[in-house]
Amino acid sequence: MSSTTLRRLIVVTLIVLWEVLPRAGLIPELFLPSLSSTLKAGWTDAPEYGHALVVTLYEVAIAMVFACGGGILAGAIVGSLPRPRLLIMPMVSSLYAVPLVILYPVFTVWLGIGSESKIAFASIYGFLPTMLATAAGIQTIDPQLLLAARSMGATLSQRVTRVIIPAAIPTVLSGLRVGGALVIVGVVVSEMLISSAGVGYLISRYRTILESAHVFAGVLLVLALAVAFNLLIRLIERRAAVWQTGTRAGRDAMAREIPAAGLQPANP
Amino acid sequence: MQPLANVTSLKPAARSGAVQLTGVGQVYKTSGEGVLAVSDVSFEVKPGRFVVLVGPSGCGKSSLLMMMAGLRHPTSGTILVSGAAIHDPDPDRVGVVFQEPSLFPWLTAEENVEFPLTLRGVAKKDRRAKAQEALQLVGLDGFGQRHPHELSGGMKQRVSIARGLVQDPPVLLMDEPFAALDEQTRMTMGDELLRIWAATGKTIVFVTHSLTEAVYLADEVIVMSPRPGRIVDRLEVALPRPRTFEMLSGDVFGSLRDRIWRHIRKSA
Repeated sequence: MSSTTLRRLIVVTLIVLWEVLPRAGLIPELFLPSLSSTLKAGWTDAPEYGHALVVTLYEVAIAMVFACGGGILAGAIVGSLPRPRLLIMPMVSSLYAVPLVILYPVFTVWLGIGSESKIAFASIYGFLPTMLATAAGIQTIDPQLLLAARSMGATLSQRVTRVIIPAAIPTVLSGLRVGGALVIVGVVVSEMLISSAGVGYLISRYRTILESAHVFAGVLLVLALAVAFNLLIRLIERRAAVWQTGTRAGRDAMAREIPAAGLQPANP
Repeated sequence: MQPLANVTSLKPAARSGAVQLTGVGQVYKTSGEGVLAVSDVSFEVKPGRFVVLVGPSGCGKSSLLMMMAGLRHPTSGTILVSGAAIHDPDPDRVGVVFQEPSLFPWLTAEENVEFPLTLRGVAKKDRRAKAQEALQLVGLDGFGQRHPHELSGGMKQRVSIARGLVQDPPVLLMDEPFAALDEQTRMTMGDELLRIWAATGKTIVFVTHSLTEAVYLADEVIVMSPRPGRIVDRLEVALPRPRTFEMLSGDVFGSLRDRIWRHIRKSA
């Protein structure tokens, strides 16, 4: 059995267990409502969930722009200039280890309990890994490529647009993957803590009134959001960074081509 | 063992392909302290000649090449290429091939070869035609759509040579281009380079630390001393063209190689 089918089998088994175990009474419905009752709860209150999703998506989208745009910009500056790098990087790296969620109450004091505080918090939450990855991506560009470009007469701006940016794309994308996921976490968590709208708020509210099926419907929605984001990033990765996936493929191609091209003696 | 050739007068012609170094010296600044890397180097390469620079590592032979490419500036002395001083990289006059193929991994072989033309805004159709021609010249016809990771080490270096030749500069500078290749590929590439040289009539200045490679390829070998690098000997290689594998074991070859080795052993 291939690992792919095995993986699918595990997922299917989990879904079946989710339905069967609560129905058989092995797990109380309060702890884990069955899949069907979760879906039913979500379906009957679809307008409410839809409205919450719109709020959450709006916050995620704006925070994503700040976190990713700002992170890439700051990372590019810090990564390409040695002095800011020495000043800022140690601070940013240690800040990354701090659980930033402790600052969220402060954000609500400054910005209120509406979308603004969620956006601000999630932006900062997703900003750090994006910035760190971008800075690392730019630092690790092979200086030989820049020298070669210079030998071909590339100006500074040509070196930025034609060498530095394409070379940094794979690392930046892996930063976006982490940063974007953290933006979603940041928005949902802050909605769950202090707020009046959004999917996180719904989860939190239904939890306090012990409506487990509705809680899990919200959880499913957040899961779907995270999966959709992941698929989107993977799509972008596949389009933008074909060349990076090639190490193994390249070795195989090499093995195929050597008899055809590389090694024929010119003077037999 | 008299040094060859007093510098003869050189007619400045825009694309003659002559290279002339007069009293070239370079001082490196390392933490305030100046280190003399190259000292008072003068030599002339007539158009269409194949000249090899050899010397122990750290003798400044690569520095000299970088200066001829306009990638570094001499602290003293002048460098003329095709009769005019070279201050900045000028791919119309000088093509450069590095030890690492330095290909852009996100571009295909063809796009890599086109790169210097792309920088100058040459129309796509003309770029493609020139790249095709250059790839054909280096024996990579039909590999244009491959990405670098799909090519062997020797093929990558061929692409790099094609890229150096694509603007048809009269001078090709090569900085240990085959040093990273295995022995067999290296021999093949040497023959290939001689074939390309014979077909194009370029002036080639080639840096290597392999004595065999130096004598096998060169019209003239210039031997340098360790830091501060200066010229200690110049040898005319009187072997006929085309060079063949059998010459490697001949007396002429052996005595030339021994003479270079005596210089290098003395200084090592």
